[in-house]
Amino acid sequence: MDHQGASASKWAREPSSDEDEHRQKKRKKEKRFKKAKDSPSVRDGSGTPSSTMGRMDETPGHPDAATSLEQSEERDMAVDSDSQVPEYHINVPDAPQYPALTGCRSVENYEKLNRISEGTYGVVYRAKDRLTGEIVALKKLKLDQEKNGFPITSLREVYTLLLAKHPHIVNVREIVVGDTLTQIFIVMDFIEHDLKELMSEMRAPFLQSEVKTLMLQLLSATELLHENWILHRDLKTSNLLLNNKGEIKVADFGLARRYGEPQGLMTQPVVTLWYRAPELLLGSKQYTTAIDMWSIGCIFAEFVNNEPLLPGRSEAEQLEKIFKLLGVPNDKIWPGYSKLPLASHVPNFVQPYNLLRSRLPYLTENGLDLMSKMLTYNPAKRITAEEALKHPYFSEAPPPKHPSMFPTWPSKGERTVKRNASPSAPQAIHGHGQEDEEVGGLFNFANQESTGFRLKV
Amino acid sequence: MSQNKLSLQNALLTLEQLQQTPSREDDITEEQEDNLRQLGCHLIQTAGILLKLPQVAMATAQILFQRFFYMASLRKFAVRDISMGSIFLAAKVEECPCRVTDLINVIDHLCKKFKRKATEPLVPFSHDYYHLKDAVVIAEMQILKKLAFNVHVQLPYAIMVNYLKVLELTDHPTIPQRAWGFLNDGLRTSIYICYQPPTIACGVIWLAAREAGVPLPTSPAWWEVLDSDLEDIENIAGHIKSLYFKALPIPDLPLTIEQVEPYIKRDSNNGSHATPPSKGTRVSRFS
Repeated sequence: MDHQGASASKWAREPSSDEDEHRQKKRKKEKRFKKAKDSPSVRDGSGTPSSTMGRMDETPGHPDAATSLEQSEERDMAVDSDSQVPEYHINVPDAPQYPALTGCRSVENYEKLNRISEGTYGVVYRAKDRLTGEIVALKKLKLDQEKNGFPITSLREVYTLLLAKHPHIVNVREIVVGDTLTQIFIVMDFIEHDLKELMSEMRAPFLQSEVKTLMLQLLSATELLHENWILHRDLKTSNLLLNNKGEIKVADFGLARRYGEPQGLMTQPVVTLWYRAPELLLGSKQYTTAIDMWSIGCIFAEFVNNEPLLPGRSEAEQLEKIFKLLGVPNDKIWPGYSKLPLASHVPNFVQPYNLLRSRLPYLTENGLDLMSKMLTYNPAKRITAEEALKHPYFSEAPPPKHPSMFPTWPSKGERTVKRNASPSAPQAIHGHGQEDEEVGGLFNFANQESTGFRLKV
Repeated sequence: MSQNKLSLQNALLTLEQLQQTPSREDDITEEQEDNLRQLGCHLIQTAGILLKLPQVAMATAQILFQRFFYMASLRKFAVRDISMGSIFLAAKVEECPCRVTDLINVIDHLCKKFKRKATEPLVPFSHDYYHLKDAVVIAEMQILKKLAFNVHVQLPYAIMVNYLKVLELTDHPTIPQRAWGFLNDGLRTSIYICYQPPTIACGVIWLAAREAGVPLPTSPAWWEVLDSDLEDIENIAGHIKSLYFKALPIPDLPLTIEQVEPYIKRDSNNGSHATPPSKGTRVSRFS
């Protein structure tokens, strides 16, 4: 407080000469620029508005012409550690660090090695950067049957990947074009495994210590997404990549989108069936980050058991599986349940018990508690990513295994083409436009008006 | 490689890009280029209103349009096509997609109106209809390609409102509206590709307050508190004000690629056009 008062009064007493102030400002700017350059968010070119705000704290206080330059240097250092001094400067970084306008590079800069997989809306290749020799993944977007131009889902994917820079979210490098305008490739870091593939090859499930590490990584990535008002909407094991350093990377943001308050209506059938939250199955048009948490709960169980928790084949069967496992919900545990569009069509059967324990006999009490909080019917009560990270499950023995201690496996991506082992997310959302919505669904739930999406099994 | 980074920050022009645009290299004069840029922005803004798009979509579209023609020449890409592509793309970027059919109907109507032709509705499934439809998709891809998919734009509207609050100007009868209008009109100039949103916000507030005769704090100077340079602010204000000193000769301006060549030739033959106020003129000259 003293410091603040003193400098403020000095400011008032001794009005600065313009020249001095200008000189000082310039100096400050240089210094600030240097700092900004050093900060990681700028170095990787992904400075988001929030990171700019973060740097506000680092900016020195107002110029004070009365002190000599050396002194002000010293004081600036002091200010950095002392946030008591009033801030007169909001740091708007100087121009040179912004990206210049440039065109797309050609796919010729990469040498295609082999095909890794064929996803719902694009083929993924393994390729080598001709300049640096780095191995990357090239995701080719399917644009052939687009009537509505470039798919909005791909725009969202690019946007969310850029916004969500996180050690456990796959890194997008650039976008390159082929010879014709229909050949667009997203260039991403190459990651050796996807968890679906890996788990199908493993003889024993992950150890508890490994499960904890994977869950912590997944939750921290999800926390960042939700903090930035992004829903992933298609979390599942085949969208989680694992490198040989034991690090998970969340991938495939083809369904991700921003959401806000107040919430608009969003496309209903999202998330691959096995990982789809009950409110979605019951036709709710408004949903929150809780749908991602349900998916994470299913993934958690899959890590522990090495098999999918709720492998339903149709929407009706999926709901039935959920009810058989967790009991049939009612308005008491899930207020508003009976008002959901499809709740009245739920087949009438009585199963009042939560049988989660029987499916996960070897999980500790804390582990089971976390899972049942993720698989809570009421979306408002369901645990958030932030809360889940603090759950005692992660602090009890055995502690999470350090990622570097993870076993390694030979990468499938280097050898074979893999087929889709689990069902895909609903097709129509992958940008085929409004026209497709009239197509009748194969698995209509309880003869309701068609949701218009066919399940690819 | 370092230049090719994808980013959510607004891309800014380098000095060379600003001075030597692709159109200039294609023998299009600065005045012609300015006119065509303004025409495109005018087309986007008017079409956006008819399509009932939110202003953010129109603003994004105009910035994409402006950026595009720093990467490509006005001789090779038609103002009409790139305007359509910008609207189509910006509407998707801002999560309010518009239908291709609506878009081409509106654009066709406006183009006829701009040319003072009878505004007959576009015949569905006619040759023109399919031609326009293809043009939209192609233009969109061209924009994405030329801008290397850096199509997410930071806009200064929200920042300006916050700055107005900081300066306690929100209740002033004219300043907020005027500053907002300057932001919209400023889309027709190069300020959005030369400065970052906070600087632009300061520029329009400075101009609006000046026109309303409202003094703002000077010790410390308010723009320094908001970390903008007076020089930049005056430059922005100058660019915006220069818009109001010349009427755009809309019917004479080329909308399609066929109309471009005669326009360039005709104008370069008679050099008797009044020169517009040079860019970057200080506002003090006008007021």
